[in-house]
Formats: sequence, C-alpha cells, structure tokens
Amino acid sequence: MTEATRPLPPDAPWIVLKFGGSSVGRAACWPTIAGLARERHAAGARVLLVVSALAGATDALKAIADHADADERRRLAAELGQRHIDFARELAVDPGLLSPWLARLAELAAAVGPGGDCAGSWARQAELMALGELMSSTLGNAALRRAGLDSRWLDARDCLLAQATGNQGEWARWLAASVPVGRDEALRERLAGRAAEVFITQGFIARNGDGCTVLLGRGGSDTSAAYFGASLAAARVEIWSDVAGLFSANPREVPGARLLRRLDFEEAQEIATTGARMLHPRCLSPLRRSGVPLWIRDTGRPELDGTRIGPEVPDAPPSIKAISSRRGVTLVSMETVGMWQQVGFLADVFQVFRRHGLSVDLIGSAETNVTVSLDPSENLVDSDVLAALCADLAAFCRVRAITPCTAVTFVGRGMRGLLHRLRDVLAEFGSLRVHLISQSSNDLNLTFVLDEVDAEGLLPRLHDALIAAGALPAEDDAVFGPTWAQLYAGAGSLRPRPWWRDRLPALAALAAEGTPCYVYDLATVRARARALGALGSIARWHYAVKANPHPDLLRTLADQGFDFECVSPGELDAVQAALPSLPAQRLLFTPNMAPAAEYRAALARGVRVGFDALEPLQALAGEASGGGTAIALRLDLGPGRGLHAHVRTGQDSKFGLPLADLPAAIAAAGDAGLRVEVLHAHLGSGILDPGHWREVGLQLASLAEGLPDVVALNLGGGLGVPYQPGQPALDLAAVDAALAELRRAYPRLELWLEPGRYLVAEAGVLLTRVRQLKRKGARLFVGVDAGMHTLLRPALYDAWHPVANLDRAEAPVDLRADVVGPICESTDTLAAGRLLAQGTTTGDLLLVDLAGAYGAVMASDYNLRGRPRQCVLDAQEAVP
Amino acid sequence: MSAPAFAREAIGRFEFRQVAWDAGAGQASLAYGFDDGPDLVERIVFPGAPVPAHPAAFDAALRLVHLIAGVSYFKAAVPPRIAVLGPAPAPALATLLDAVYTDGLAEFAWRNGIDLRGKVCFPRGAQAAPAPALGLPRSSLVAIGGGKDSLVSIELLRARNEAMTLAHVGDSPLIAAVAGRTGLPVLNIRRQLAPELFEYNRQGALNGHIPVTAINSALLVAAAVLYGHDAVVFSNEASASSATLEQDGRVVNHQWSKGIDFERAFAAQVRAGIAADLDYFSLLRPLTELAITREFARLTRYHGHFSSCNRNFRLLGAKPRERWCGQCPKCHFVFLALAPFLPKPALVAIFGRNLLDDPSLAGDFDALLEWRRHKPFECVGEAAESRAAMAALARRPDWREDALVRRFAAEIQPALAASELAIEPLLAPRADHALPDRLVGLIDALRRA
Repeated sequence: MTEATRPLPPDAPWIVLKFGGSSVGRAACWPTIAGLARERHAAGARVLLVVSALAGATDALKAIADHADADERRRLAAELGQRHIDFARELAVDPGLLSPWLARLAELAAAVGPGGDCAGSWARQAELMALGELMSSTLGNAALRRAGLDSRWLDARDCLLAQATGNQGEWARWLAASVPVGRDEALRERLAGRAAEVFITQGFIARNGDGCTVLLGRGGSDTSAAYFGASLAAARVEIWSDVAGLFSANPREVPGARLLRRLDFEEAQEIATTGARMLHPRCLSPLRRSGVPLWIRDTGRPELDGTRIGPEVPDAPPSIKAISSRRGVTLVSMETVGMWQQVGFLADVFQVFRRHGLSVDLIGSAETNVTVSLDPSENLVDSDVLAALCADLAAFCRVRAITPCTAVTFVGRGMRGLLHRLRDVLAEFGSLRVHLISQSSNDLNLTFVLDEVDAEGLLPRLHDALIAAGALPAEDDAVFGPTWAQLYAGAGSLRPRPWWRDRLPALAALAAEGTPCYVYDLATVRARARALGALGSIARWHYAVKANPHPDLLRTLADQGFDFECVSPGELDAVQAALPSLPAQRLLFTPNMAPAAEYRAALARGVRVGFDALEPLQALAGEASGGGTAIALRLDLGPGRGLHAHVRTGQDSKFGLPLADLPAAIAAAGDAGLRVEVLHAHLGSGILDPGHWREVGLQLASLAEGLPDVVALNLGGGLGVPYQPGQPALDLAAVDAALAELRRAYPRLELWLEPGRYLVAEAGVLLTRVRQLKRKGARLFVGVDAGMHTLLRPALYDAWHPVANLDRAEAPVDLRADVVGPICESTDTLAAGRLLAQGTTTGDLLLVDLAGAYGAVMASDYNLRGRPRQCVLDAQEAVP
Repeated sequence: MSAPAFAREAIGRFEFRQVAWDAGAGQASLAYGFDDGPDLVERIVFPGAPVPAHPAAFDAALRLVHLIAGVSYFKAAVPPRIAVLGPAPAPALATLLDAVYTDGLAEFAWRNGIDLRGKVCFPRGAQAAPAPALGLPRSSLVAIGGGKDSLVSIELLRARNEAMTLAHVGDSPLIAAVAGRTGLPVLNIRRQLAPELFEYNRQGALNGHIPVTAINSALLVAAAVLYGHDAVVFSNEASASSATLEQDGRVVNHQWSKGIDFERAFAAQVRAGIAADLDYFSLLRPLTELAITREFARLTRYHGHFSSCNRNFRLLGAKPRERWCGQCPKCHFVFLALAPFLPKPALVAIFGRNLLDDPSLAGDFDALLEWRRHKPFECVGEAAESRAAMAALARRPDWREDALVRRFAAEIQPALAASELAIEPLLAPRADHALPDRLVGLIDALRRA
C-alpha cells in the first residue's frame, strides 16, 4: 500500500499540525491535509497531526450528556453515530473502523445524564465527549492511509498526562484539565522508534494520574497541539483553520483589517485574550515557555504564509499591531476616603471578588477610588452575583456598577513610546463616555472602557486613524500583510484600477503647464453617477456641491439626472451660473447657522429648503407667507459616524434639530405656512458600512409614522471612498438591498440621498512637483509645490492620500519619506512616513490620488502662494 | 387620478356605507364616506379563510368591525352627524359605539382642542334577538403585540395547557419574529386603510390617537368566529383602566380601549350580538405592571427579542437600539419596571444601555413618577409602581449610585411616604377582572408565586 518509509535521522525535527472541525469534517479537505503532511515529511520532518472532532460533534455529545431523557440520549447518540458512518463512506474508508467507539457511545449515552455534579458523572461526561476526537482521528488515519501515507494512529491519552493544579476545582480537573509543560524525552524516543511517515492523534483529551480520560476545556484542540509541540520540542506548531491568521482587527467589523504576518508570543497572547476568537489564549503559554513557534494557516489557501508567532524580536520598533474589543463588560467602581492609609484595603476588596467567584480583568486606581472590570460571563447575567458582590463591597466603600461597557484594546509592543502619535486617534474618543483607561507596565496594551452604545462603529474609525497616524504601520510588509477584504472579499469589493494609470501622457502635459494642478476625469464622475443612479430604491439623488463646485462637474452631474444640494447662497449661485436653465426645484438649500433672511431669499428663489434649527422657522412663523411650500427638517439622531471627529455630526455637533424640538419645529413650520414633507438626517462622512443608510432611514421612518405630511426621507450622504489601499469599497448592491427593504416596509416614503465625495473623489488627482529634498538624521523630507494651502485634508483631518511618482513608475517603491509642502506650518504635510519610488528627487512629478473631493474647494491663500490650477479631462467612455 | 377635495370644516355627515366579504380572497371591504363624497374602502385580509361555518355570526362580527374601525375615518373630520346605511345598530351596541367614538377619542379630542362629549350619537335601531351559542371549539385566540404583556399571557396559558393560536394585525416584523419564537400557530390579519385618508391628511384632516385596541378586538372576534376559537384573549393590565389626565371634570384615558369598562361592554356585546359562547377578556387584568414584569423577567428566552418601545420599527435589526429607542416613555417604564426583577447586566443587555444612568432623562422619569409632572400619554404603569420600583433600586448597591436612582433617593424619596414605596403590595392580584371561571384559578397561582 505505501512505499517504504524512508528512515529519518534521530535528530529530525518535529512539526505538529492541528486541524479544526471544519477541515476535518469535510472530505474534500483530506487530500490537502495528506499533501501538507507528505510535504513536511519529504522535507525531513517528523509529522504529528492533531485533529478536532467533526464540526458540531462536540456540541452534539454535550447535548447527549445534558439530556434528562435516556431514550432521547440514545436517539441523539444513534444520530451522531450515523453521521460518522456516513462520513466514513464519503471518505471511502471502512465504517467498521468506528465499531469500538460506537459501542462505547451507546453505553455511555445510556449511563450519563444531567445532575450528579460529582467526580463519577464528570468522568463519564469526559469519556463521552472524548469520543468525538477518537472517531475523527480514526477516520482521518484511514483517509491518510488511503491517500498513500504510512500513517499511525496515536492515542493522545498515552502521551499527555494531566496534573491537578493548586486552585483547580474538581469540575476543572475533569473537564478543563492542564498538562505540565516540558520536553518529554521518553515520548520523543518512543515515537522516533516507530516507523511512520505521519502520526495522527486527538486534540482536546488527555489522561489523569488514575488513568481516566479528562478533557482540556474550551479551545482544547489548540491547547493539545501546543502541549504536543512542547513535549516533542517541535520545530513549530501549525494551526490550520479557515482563516489565514490573526488580523489587526476583527475582519467582520473592520474589513480593511490586515493580516498580521509576524507577532511575538506576548503580543499574540494579548490579542487572543482581548477579543480575537481565532486562537484560544490557553494554547500560547506552553509554546512560549518552550520557545516553539506557532504558525496559523488557512486550509483553503495553503499558499498564504499566515501568521507566525515566535519569541520577541529584539530592537523591533514600537508599533500597534491590532485593536480588539469585548462587549458586555461591567465596571465596579469603589470609592473610599484615603484607601492607601488603610493597610489591607485592596486585599479585603479582592477577597470579596474571590468569594463571589468573579475574576477581575482591568484595574484603575486613584487615592480614593479603585475601579475594576469584569468580563462578561453567564454567571453575571443569569444570577444576582453582581448585586451580592456590591452588597458585600458596600461594607468597605461606595460602590457603583457601570454597565454595559465595551473594552477597546490597542495591542502592540512599546505602547508608551507611541503616545505622541495617538493625538488624532485619541480625538475619536472625544465625545464618548470613557470610564476607565488601563495600560499595563509590560507596555503591551492600552485599553479604553467606554459605554457600549458609544463603541458602535468605533473600531473601523480607530483602525483607520491608527494607520493614518502611523501608529499601526500598515506599510511595514514584514509585519502587516494584505487586508481581509483583499484575501477573502473578492476583487470586486476593492477599488477598480485608477483611471489616471491610463492617462499618464495627458497628465504630464498638463503638469508641464504648471503645478500644483488638480485634474478631474469626467468619465469617472459619469461612471460613479451611473452606478448610483442604478440603485432602484433611491427616488432622488442630490450632489453635495460643497465637495467640488467645478462647473464642468456640475454640468456632468446635471446630465446624469442629479439634483444639487447647496449649503450657502454662494453655492446656489455657482450651480445656477453653471446651469442657467436648471429648474429651481432641482436645487436643495440646506444651510447651517444661516440667518432667517437666507432662508427667506431661498424660498423666494423657488428652491427647496431644509431647516435644521428652530430659530429661523420661528422667525418666519410670524410672516405666514409660505403658501404651503414643502420643506425638509434636518434632525439630530444622536451619535454621528464617519471618518474623523471633525467630519462627524450629531450629539455634540452644531448640526441638526434635536429630536425634542421636532414638535415645536412642525408647529412653527405650520405657522409660517410651510409644510414638513421631508425628514432629513446626515450622520457623517466616509461611511463604508452598507447598512448605515438603512439604519438612518429606519430612525427617520419611525418618526415619520406620526407625521402624515412626510412623503420622503433624505438619508444624507457620507457614501465613503476607501483612501487606504486594500480597504473594501462601499458595496452599493448591499446599500440598495438594505434600502429596498426599508422601501417595502414604508411604501409611502421616498428615499433620497445626497452624496458628494463618492461622485468626485476618485475622479480627481493633484499633480505636484518635487522642489527640494532635505535629510535630517534618518528622516527624509520630500518638499513639493503643493501644501496645506492646496490640499488641506491631511493637515485638517489626518487624511491619508496615496502618493505616486509619475516619473519613476517602474522603480521599486522603498524610499521612506515625508511629503511636505512649502507652507510655514509644522502640519504642512501631505503624506507622512510614506514609501516612495526609489530615486525620487527634485523635479519629479508626484501624483496625490483621490483628491477630487474637498481638494481645490478648500484651497486657501495662506502664505500667498497662490491657488492651484484646475483642469478637466474628458474622453469618450469605452463602450462596454 | 384626481384627488377628492376634502374641506373638513364644511363636512356635515359621516356614513357607514357597506360591508362586503370576498370568500375566495378572504377579504372584507368596509366602505365609509363623508357627505356625498367617494367611498373610503378599508380592506382586511384573513389569510387562508375557510368558508364561514357560522355565516350569521360572522356577518354580525364583520358589521361590528365595520362600525368600530370607522373611528379612523370619522376622526379625520369629526362631523356632527353619523349615519348608518342599512339597519341601525341595536340600542346596546349604539351605546357601546357612542363610547368608542367619545371616550376612545378623548385624548384625540383633547389634543385637537375639541370636546366630543354628548356630540356623538349613533342611530338606534330595534332590539335584536340574543345571539345563540355556536359550539365553538375550546381554543384561545391570543393577541400578540411583540411586547412583554402578551408573552406573559401566552406562557401563563401554555403552563395551563390551553390550546391557543396567536394573532396579530398588521405587518410588524418584530411581532412576527417574537410570535415565531413561541413555537405556536400564528394568524396574521392584514389591514389596509383607504388610501384617500393619506390625501385627506394633506388637506388638513385631523390626526391623533385612536382606540386601536377596540378595532383589533373586533378583528380578533371576527377571526375567532371564522377560524373557530371560543375565546379572544388580550393582555391589558390593571393600570390600563386609570385615567391619564383629568381636567375640569373631563377624563382622558390614553388607553381607554384597554381598560376594564371597554372590556366588559365589548364582551357583553360579543355574547349578546355574535356568539353566546365566545369569551372576550384580558388575561392580565388582575395584574399590575410590576407583577407582569416580574413574570416576564423569568422568560429569558424572549429577552433579546421582544420590544415594548412605541416607536414603530417596521424592520428588524440585530442591535438593541433598533428595538428600543430609549427615548419614549415605554422604553423608560419597561426598563424601570424590569430592573427590580433582573440582574443588572441582564437588563442593560436587553436595552444596550443603562437608561437610569442618563441624567438627561431625569424629566422623563419624573413624569413616570408623577413628580412635578403629568404622567405621559402612554401605556405605562401607575406612578405608585414606578415609585416603588425606583425605591427598590435605591436600596440596591448595584443600582443606587446611578444618576437617576441617586437623584430619586436624594430629592424625591424624602417627600414620599415610606409606606407607599413597598413593591410587595403592588404585586398582589387585583379583584377587578372579567376572567372566565375556568381561568380564575390562575390568580391564586400568581398570588403564591
């Protein structure tokens, strides 16, 4: 069956590979597993595979153990047995191999049952639960042999011997046991003596001193792999699953999160314990103590290197590697007078926590206050333990239980050396209720505990801000890999190839006439407008003129059927100048803090008007001259969302009518002879979450229920454009689907949107020439003729714009530099710590991408260096 | 299609025109009109409707629906005369209708600055023969609203092995989702208002609160006759009977059609005019809000799904704030009333935030406590219940430092009599109810709980 196994030298290294239930339980994965084992053996390594139970099998076994009814237990056991028999057939291996395990399953299913929290029942439960791995490894062994490998099945219980630890309860000794960590020479010799290409064994299970089966607890298979790695003194342990590794944030919340290529054990431990579910925190400690590296890999994408976790890299520069969050955190704040004078105060306090079985996570303290955090646990939600704890603590101090909170943690080595870079990152917390900040002395983390509602949508913003601030150096390829979206969301989710790559000669010609110069591509504007126009759920589109009032852009968008949203009389004039025959009703005037006279003039002009304050409505109320004209009311729905604290609106911002003023505003509108037909909200910009507008619409629609005059909801703009590479683009189809659902629920209400950036940002680039290079120590400044007077966004918002050297398009991009302007301000930076083309020098033409929105229109005369030129490119679009 | 003109002030007459039943589609069409204006047709769909086994009773039930649901249209203009085309209602029914259109619209009238007392007069027809018993099967049709009350009813009935079908009117996905979690059969009655009503609104129709429970009660009675149930069960509690506002001898109860007076009058009308063996009652009538929240606190499997918020979220969201706006009196009251009976982390997980630690809500909670403010026009518990719940929290170390609890203890509690602040007396079942005999034992069970 197998070819003769080549003997390996006695000192051949061990590699432990662990496969989870989703890989093990799919027949199609076994050729991959066999291939990976064969490859490593061929390279001269001894290979041990550690496998989980088939996906769902452990839960099924737990259900059997918990069921009170013996017949039902037998039925569930038979069902699970059949699933394994079916899987054996699918693998084309002999189902008869399962017979001893199936017999034991039937016996144990009859014997177990809930209740009887004693050693005997836990022992039976452990033995029952172990069957999942025993069966999967038996089938796996046969599948490997069938694939032509000389595979040997190994009983993990003969290799891992659990020992009770001091503070371990009886339950944990059976169901969450620990194995002493260390090199096991006897095991190494025993296995080295057996001729085999590969060994396969079980995760999750071990044996205790009495020879009984015990379990290693949640995440037990990862822990088993780590124990085996340590006892075999393996060259490495590889954990194979369905994701390539750890990411810089939870990809479900932050699709722009980056794969972490390299981490040290301590960093990985922090990431695993502060929220990442990818890796069980328990598995790292045995490896760290034994110095065995851990690799995380994707079974479906074996070509990816994944995450490699090893010992600390000496002299690595400080950086933030990841952000994570945990919801449902409870803070217990204890206030007393002069606690430090009271010897034993903390000991007394913590004794109370211990007595109630509550484990404290974070601690913050002052002279008169200690505040600790409790991670969410079933105990806290199901029982009155928090009330009992607080009652006992009340004997020492004034207690306050703050909940629900979310803990947001920045993880990385050398956090304290990065504080100066976090200015704009910390600004994100500006209007949020932060209750506790904790930073450990090992300098690996920085945690903020804040109100759970305030943490919604925060992670993507923090992630972007950390990259923009250079605190999370995403351009460092040694540490940060591709984004999750690049790896898993498909090419369609990313930004298409920029138009300018195909227009280099035209750009060079325009630059020759003078820089700095903005160039707009009308074909791109048209393409974006058409993409939006295709969304069936939107009845009316408005272009937010403030993004870029260039007349050619306005004309292009008018041709595409867009109306125009203006925030000042000047913008109204600009649109009417560019489009003299445009009907006034295609203009929407929504100013902020404008005098009543501006509203009066706009109403007289015949444009549609939106109010976001009571005062101007009341000023018009006396006049009752509205004649039933329809108006919009812009509401403040609460917490804003968006790119940066400065471009978010709501709550603490000056925009929008507070909800409490809505009845008064409706009344004032009535007195003014105006009718509120549109409710409007705009909650910020740069939003890439496709569910956002549905949520805004849902809030507005439920308010409109009581307002029969309302016929339309203006959900604002804020349609985001990804500025950083690898960030997924806004999924318009998902936006449309979410809004279509809203339309069906509220057929009476039309939906409107008013994007600006989305239509023009990608259409514009800024051309600028290098005027001077300056070196200061290790730092290189590339001085260009554009600055904050040309493009204010980087200085104002810490905005991140891609920069390319058009004169060195083919050169490797490895020159780290700050691209700065000529303005006398220290914030006059267009791009900080960026990689540019090798050899970039004075006279080169640089392109700042994604500059079509809030670029030229925000340019200023500061330093009297003049305003940038603006040019327009228009070519016939290629017909698809 | 040109919109019909609607000059509210000039309208003199509201007409009940006709009821039509399309057996094939299971659809009832209810026609109304103002003066000589066009028909305003409301459509009601009973899904999968069988051929009525008791046609006379079903006709009478649809007629009752027609007469009660007219309140949505009548209120657009509130004309001085009411006309019923076809036979006029029997005297007892006319009296009930007068009450529905006066007391049921009391809040509407108060808010619109009009006084309907003595101005609504349905025509009186001949005394009708009493309705016979139909031999309806022993089964309850239970109204479900997606909030805590109906879930408590459902679980109380389930514990007594009562056969039941759940019913809801309209297309709320939240109610559908909550009903789905019960695992019981569900009937969803669809109701489509006459589209002209929206146009009338633009032309100045009056708007405001209508006695929607009266309409839903009539719809469920018709459904009970049609599908065969011998009981229609609602979940209105003791405090629904008390007035929200009394001013110059004028009594306004926001939830009049949820009160015991309506319940008794309506139940009598159902037995006399539709089916002698069809019960209509509120299972929770003996219970206070606090007694209900205590029961509901135990039903943990609904905690992450139900909502009693009165912002109508017609779409389902995964986040607590898509079920709980956190700003309306219902959100505030349910939070407060559940707090004494749930671990704090479990309660705040339901709402996604701690409403009692938000100083900006002080005025809203004052209104619930009737502390220097009127109780809001909402279906919320009595001030005594809110005060007792708050006092209970003021005693709990895990709550007492939260902003609004601390404020209560420092500023409000000292002015209240300690004897009024005990929760226990407020949990005791009340005697004023209309439960059928077979369910009276439930009260003893609750007393022992």
